[in-house]
Amino acid sequence: MTRGLITAAVIAALYLAPMVASPYLLHVLVLSCLYAIPAVGLNLMLGYTGLVSLGHIAFAGIGAYTAAYLMVDVKVGYWAALAIATLAAGGAGAVIGSICLRFRSHFFMIVTLAFGLMLFSVMNNWDDVTRGAAGFPGIPRPAGFAPLESFYRLALSAALLAFAVQWGVVRSRFGLILVALRQDERLAEAKGVNAALYKTAVFALGSALAGAGGVLLVSFLRVAAPGSFTLAESINAVLIVIVGGAGSLAGPALGALLFVGLPEYLRVAAEWRLVIFGLLLVLITLFAPEGLAALLGRLAKRRRR
Amino acid sequence: MAQALLEQVINGLMTGSIYVLVALGMVLIYGVMHVLNFAHGVLFMVGGYLCHFFFTRLTGSYPLALVLSMAALALIGVAIERSVFRPLQGNLRNQVIASLGLILVIENLVIALWGPNALQLRTAATERLVAIGELRFPMQHVMIIALTAIVVAAMFGFLKWSKFGTALRATSQDRSAAMVVGIPVERVDMASFALGTALAALGGALVGPLFLVFPQMGDAPMVKGLAGILLGGMGSVPGAVIGGLIIGVAESVSTLFLPTDYRDSIAFAIMVAILLVRPRGLFGLRVRGEA
Repeated sequence: MTRGLITAAVIAALYLAPMVASPYLLHVLVLSCLYAIPAVGLNLMLGYTGLVSLGHIAFAGIGAYTAAYLMVDVKVGYWAALAIATLAAGGAGAVIGSICLRFRSHFFMIVTLAFGLMLFSVMNNWDDVTRGAAGFPGIPRPAGFAPLESFYRLALSAALLAFAVQWGVVRSRFGLILVALRQDERLAEAKGVNAALYKTAVFALGSALAGAGGVLLVSFLRVAAPGSFTLAESINAVLIVIVGGAGSLAGPALGALLFVGLPEYLRVAAEWRLVIFGLLLVLITLFAPEGLAALLGRLAKRRRR
Repeated sequence: MAQALLEQVINGLMTGSIYVLVALGMVLIYGVMHVLNFAHGVLFMVGGYLCHFFFTRLTGSYPLALVLSMAALALIGVAIERSVFRPLQGNLRNQVIASLGLILVIENLVIALWGPNALQLRTAATERLVAIGELRFPMQHVMIIALTAIVVAAMFGFLKWSKFGTALRATSQDRSAAMVVGIPVERVDMASFALGTALAALGGALVGPLFLVFPQMGDAPMVKGLAGILLGGMGSVPGAVIGGLIIGVAESVSTLFLPTDYRDSIAFAIMVAILLVRPRGLFGLRVRGEA
């Protein structure tokens, strides 16, 4: 009950934020929302199902470039392009996922990494469609959402929608099966679960979420550049999920907020902030492998006692 | 055409040798500790930077700088093994994630210390040319191939005939059985990490003079080395050597037919294709921790 109230209060405060927040703070919040969306997708894969994908952000790239091509070259409307791009990323996730999922543990990670790099190479080099390394300019924001305050509300709503999807999945039978697969795949299969099917489905769903996040990111930046979809970005996504708390509902939000917000707050040179983040990641895996969400939960419990 | 092919094969053997050095180190660490260290590429890069530092600031002798940077990296490897990977022993996922964290820490530490721009590492061996038939190559190419061949031979000898090499193989085959017969497995872990990172340093120090020293210089060799390992069969030392060379030659030769932009994808395409047909790679006999 209290948790529901707190969540509602936080959401309301976030919607009212533009009334008091500076444009700079809003910018940071928009980016946090846009980083959180692919992270939700990865959380379903990594946190709930135990699939560590090292190429996740490449699927955000598929969404982003599909939408860019549709909006700018084919002149499709914004929302239709967003929907098609999300489906395209999900479809690519289903196809590539079904290949990657033939491998396990380390092999799975390496193959996802390889696909991520191959997709990056296509974005970086297919000049006719993606405009190559220079990036794809002129990506619009949807009508009525061009100013920062309204784009912020859009990004926030999209992020909340992603979290709602995550919540729905986790509550459902589908979500229970995913967790079962993480805990003991053989046992789940013995119980009659089609493991390959469910894992492919969550890979596709995660990729679709990444794709939608990618579209919003490039329409916020107004340009789709390969640099937004590198291996480093895929690693950052893993970092966000782990630091926030893999397999917790609020984890991706905490992780994204921390990843985007804290460095801005610290105001140190870019390379030092990443050093700090890397150290934080190592320390969290060593001492609090369940992530910040669980850590906060434990602290709250101790307070109440 | 034959000329061009020969040129690309030799180029491929050179880059392949670098991949072999990376792959050997990773396969050693993987075989013994079952750790997949994604930070191996940034350690390779640190090897390049330290070689640059020792060469330009301290010694002025390239071979000496090479050896010093290998020694320094061996120490760093031991430190990382003890502080990060040993406490996470047995937790595959967290080891990988910690290694991703290490990438961020090390790469950005290097950027903070040396700046983001590429450094030149000019040695005599890059200026001098060697003629092979009608083709000319920098001395450094030949040196890389020869040195890698020596390292590989030494490694095989060490693993096969030395007592410690035998202990290392035993640990990799069955850790608890190795403990039972009195092999100090933790010392074996440390040694394999030290050896692996020293090999990475050698790779970085060897390519530095050819392609400059820069913060991302280890990224491609790391993933190509991984591709080589998977191609050859995870955990197989001869597999890592042959896999690395195949990747190097294949991507070099592919530039004769395909735009160079897609050269990097060739390695991965080959890897995925072969793995789909032969999931254990070309030489993989066993796959540990697969399930």
